[in-house]
Amino acid sequence: MARKPPISNSVKELRVRHGDMTQQQLGDAIGVTRQTVIAIEQNRYSPSLESAFRIARLFNVGVEDVFSWDE
Amino acid sequence: MPFKEKSAWIMAVLLTALGAAYYYVVAAISIESGQLATPMFRTIIIYTVCLIIFSVIGHTVIGILAPKEANAAADERERSIFHRAGHYSSYFMGAGVVMSLGAYMFLRSGDLLFYTVFASLMVGQIMEFVFQIIFYRTSF
Repeated sequence: MARKPPISNSVKELRVRHGDMTQQQLGDAIGVTRQTVIAIEQNRYSPSLESAFRIARLFNVGVEDVFSWDE
Repeated sequence: MPFKEKSAWIMAVLLTALGAAYYYVVAAISIESGQLATPMFRTIIIYTVCLIIFSVIGHTVIGILAPKEANAAADERERSIFHRAGHYSSYFMGAGVVMSLGAYMFLRSGDLLFYTVFASLMVGQIMEFVFQIIFYRTSF
């Protein structure tokens, strides 16, 4: 039914490095709920391309620096 | 727990409890009269009014506890959860309706058809909320 997506990310590390931003602040900045940020950080949900770009732009990094494909 | 997951819990519990109560009443009347009770408009109205009242009370309580979340629109993950939960639950409702029609072809009971189709609607709706809860709590 719902399987874990084969994509890992460094959202939590970037968030902490970015002035210890809270999950709520990140969620508000990219237009998702805090629960969705938690799901992204725990690799339980792969965000849309738009949200992925929003996260990358917020942290001033490339999308590939935030998300990577797990072989 | 997100507001919409709490809402799904409330609706799943309410629909299950009120559905069980409805069919308990139908069974009690049927046993007493010795035959399947004819569907009564009054019972359906009571069921519907109770569902509306209790769901409004439940949502008011969780809304007061988290007013900001209550007013927020569903985000991309939640929309995806709702779509998929609706999709899977439709199979339950469809299977129930098909079985009801099959039973009607053999038994020719309009009353039984009403009860089984109504039960299919209830099960389909309950399963939609159950799937929402599952998807909220698992990988999605």
